[in-house]
Amino acid sequence: MLTTHYKINRFIKLLTSLAIALCLLVPSFAQAYTGITIVMSAPTESNLEFVEAFKAELMSTKSTHLRVKLIDLSEVEKLVVAENSELVIALGVKAMGVSSKLKVTTPVLGVFAPLPTFNSQLANSRRELGNFSAIVLDQPYSRRFSLIRTIMPEVKNLGMLLGPHSTEEMEDIRETGEDAQFNILQENIRQESELIPHLTTLLAVSDALMAVPDAMVYTRETVQPILLTSYRYQKPVFGFSQTYVKAGALAAVYSTSKQLAKQAAEIAIKSQQAPGVLPPPQAPKYFSVAVNYQVARSLNIQIADENSIHKKMLGLEKLSPDTLTVTLKSTP
Amino acid sequence: MARRIFNVGVALIAAGYGLVTYAGTTEDLDTRPVPVYPVELKDDLSEQDYLGELPRVLTVSRLSQSLADAPSAVTVIDRATIRASGAVDIPELFRLVPGMYVGVNAGYVYNTNHAVSFHGMNTAYPGNMQVLINGRSVYTPLFGGVKWSELPIALMDIERIEITRGPNAASYGANAFAATVNILTSTPSETPANTVLATHGNGRNEAFYRHAGKAGDLAYRVTTGYRQDDGLDERNDFKRTRFANAQADYQLNLSNNFEFEFGLAEGARGEGNAQEDNTIFLPRTKQINNYYGLARWKHHLSETTDFQLQAYHSYDRSDDETTSVNLRPLIALISPILAASLVSDSIYINNEVITERTDIEAQHIFGLGASIRAVWGASVRQDTTYAPHYLGNKKTDKFDLQRLFGHVEWRPHTMWTVNSGAMLEHNDFTGTDISPRASLNFKPHPNHALRLGISSALRTPNYVEEKFDQKYAIATTLVAPFPRLVLQQVLADKGNVNPEQIISKELGYVGKLGSVQLDARIFSDEITDVIRFNERTDFTVPADVLLVNPTNVDTGLNSGSAKVEGLELQTNWKITSKTNVLLNHSHIRIRETHNGLERNFTKSMPVNTLSAMLTHDFNNGWDATLAYYQTSETTQLGDGDPVDLIRRTDVRLARKFNAGRWNGELSGVIENLFNDHYQEFADYNTLKRRARINVRLDF
Repeated sequence: MLTTHYKINRFIKLLTSLAIALCLLVPSFAQAYTGITIVMSAPTESNLEFVEAFKAELMSTKSTHLRVKLIDLSEVEKLVVAENSELVIALGVKAMGVSSKLKVTTPVLGVFAPLPTFNSQLANSRRELGNFSAIVLDQPYSRRFSLIRTIMPEVKNLGMLLGPHSTEEMEDIRETGEDAQFNILQENIRQESELIPHLTTLLAVSDALMAVPDAMVYTRETVQPILLTSYRYQKPVFGFSQTYVKAGALAAVYSTSKQLAKQAAEIAIKSQQAPGVLPPPQAPKYFSVAVNYQVARSLNIQIADENSIHKKMLGLEKLSPDTLTVTLKSTP
Repeated sequence: MARRIFNVGVALIAAGYGLVTYAGTTEDLDTRPVPVYPVELKDDLSEQDYLGELPRVLTVSRLSQSLADAPSAVTVIDRATIRASGAVDIPELFRLVPGMYVGVNAGYVYNTNHAVSFHGMNTAYPGNMQVLINGRSVYTPLFGGVKWSELPIALMDIERIEITRGPNAASYGANAFAATVNILTSTPSETPANTVLATHGNGRNEAFYRHAGKAGDLAYRVTTGYRQDDGLDERNDFKRTRFANAQADYQLNLSNNFEFEFGLAEGARGEGNAQEDNTIFLPRTKQINNYYGLARWKHHLSETTDFQLQAYHSYDRSDDETTSVNLRPLIALISPILAASLVSDSIYINNEVITERTDIEAQHIFGLGASIRAVWGASVRQDTTYAPHYLGNKKTDKFDLQRLFGHVEWRPHTMWTVNSGAMLEHNDFTGTDISPRASLNFKPHPNHALRLGISSALRTPNYVEEKFDQKYAIATTLVAPFPRLVLQQVLADKGNVNPEQIISKELGYVGKLGSVQLDARIFSDEITDVIRFNERTDFTVPADVLLVNPTNVDTGLNSGSAKVEGLELQTNWKITSKTNVLLNHSHIRIRETHNGLERNFTKSMPVNTLSAMLTHDFNNGWDATLAYYQTSETTQLGDGDPVDLIRRTDVRLARKFNAGRWNGELSGVIENLFNDHYQEFADYNTLKRRARINVRLDF
């Protein structure tokens, strides 16, 4: 799969360069955006942090003078954007959904968007890849596997509890996992009542559990039974978010608002001259490591500090630079 | 894959085309508004799934020390082991704990059903073990020990049982003397919606129904059941118990959690056997009933800080009335005139016992830097006891207890863990005492840990040792100088008994060797101020009372010291993913170090106990267990008699099935496969082969 990704990547790069070349050849056709409108679903802490960091990032870049405007969807009834001269950065699923209805000539970059949701919004809108992109919330599987490998080199059997959505990811997960020398064990959940019986079956044969986002499996309601049951089996859970680690998962890779803002600013600056050719959706480039040391201590797992794990992982990522590729579902 | 490339390609080409067409409409700078309608998410993930706050589940108060860091040896009996054992009674599981003695006992008054003790010194009512169910102490204040068959709990609700081997007063209070049993039930959110379980077998029928559900942030579970146990052959020890319990978790917000528990049980018990008592406590049926309620508030302050407040109340009643045989012929042996003058032929005894317990405890757990974790807290408890026959009056006696405890775990280095703690306790019987402990764990490798520990604990005397005034009295029609009362005084406690003290030293190893988990320890426990029964020499009666047993009136007192030494070994070998072996062994000797111990004291623990359990998962849903238990000869205290070496083999075969939303299991168990007619605890308890079938359905 990695090689296929690579192929897609190369293909995309080729087309992108082609498109950029086209724009450069006919500069009067393409109108660079002069400002950025950040549309946020709600003024949440992470959204506001993003806005601050994004502005600061642009300020620090001398070569650009993009205006930044902020729209809070919870305060307006209609979204009005000066189309054709703006890049819209949509924070959150709702903002991305609303912004995707803007004229296709206004490029939209989603942030804080889960990949499956981006895929379905792409499929359900008139937009195409060049004018609709995202920095997805999902950390690349290779990075997640690398975290587990770094913290617990002895793990062989890695359990995955999959729901109706995440099952679609299984092919990718399995291939990436096997590349990282894991034996991937899976249990599929079709209804909520199956959760605990399937989880116990999985825990009995797994060395650790890796949580994969799914609206049925990993919810606010299931976090208690999943973490308690896993703890009873003395098996660590590797989460997909910082909050899951706070709740009781052993560790996770995640990206802060600041890190996402840095990546978004890079895209905004780079795409300014060719607004119709946003880069394809990408995984978070910068990331952090979260470890729950209380849980580690109770499970008798000795873990280095978060920074050294991060450093070690960066070293490993340099060896496989394809990390940012995300898998797109075929659009109908 | 080719299709995907094609799609992406088409998308990009289309994007390029968009650019070109867009170039033609550059003048069109309209600002067409887009309505902000609520985006329908359906099953789509949102950023909330990644960024939304989640309740803190594994807070520091929920996280236990890893076995490698723990200050004591711990045996964990988990749900899989409970299931594989085929046991229907909680105490039967303790046969898997090295150092534990378990004997079925069909006693004849105030029966406990199973005599369970750790490292001997056991009567039918062992008071040297703390037993908790979800943090609620269930040992009885009157005799000590636990009336196992009366607990309103179903085995299927138990998630795990943790047995701390060795004194642990600093964490669990004074009666955590020889060991602590902590029974933990599964949380409602982990329980399937509906479960039906039924068992039918030799002398045993039981049925349970459980329902679990959720209502917003409230998760609950209700279990109800009926248990019919015919007891042992030739003993009047049947037990019929109806019970119900409920458990609820309410997550108020991210950092506040409330837990509630309720339970009640009632039923009939057969008691009395002419073999031991053919005059007073004759074969009869008594009624028992009990209930309890518990509330717990867990407040999560930070990643390393939790606060917990817990309160519970429990009520236990045993309604036992008896009328003796005609006593005139017996008294006629002393004096025919006296016999003729008795106001009645027989005596009536109201042996009703009501005990209540109210307990409030606060606990604060916190971390200091990365290397220190500490817990401290305080509790107050009141036990009340109404036992007219035993206490010699109709008053309700009150026993108050206050406790202050603290424990610190310090990890100066990844290889070293220091545990230290103490409990300060004040109670009405023995005043104020302190029990400290300390241990040092050395972990040269994550898979290997050595532990050196010293721990002390105190055992407060029970009512039977401190306050009993148990007698049989019958009036006469005579006047002075002849006796107006004929009295047999069984127990006349002097009171002021000091607590029994244990100082336990141990060297332990916890580790993993390949696929074998190993827990081994050698220990030396010094027990001083042993509480025992001895003749009370200063017992006097008024001149007009005839005491028929002047040289046989007992009292609880401190006398003698002992050393208990030995080794305990616990192994869990996962041979393959389908086959597992548990092997537990203990070798223990009790020596008298200071004269004055009760007869048979040194024989009160079998020198060797062995338990082994082989489980195998066949493909296609079948699994089987072969278990073997061996206990060398012993003589238990109290009503105990010398019993020989016991060898018992159990087999279990189970078939799981899954039919849509119906999951279940059908199983059969044979206990004592070779039908050895052996005795446990006393020579009147003869165990024979017993078989059961069991069906369980989850839906």
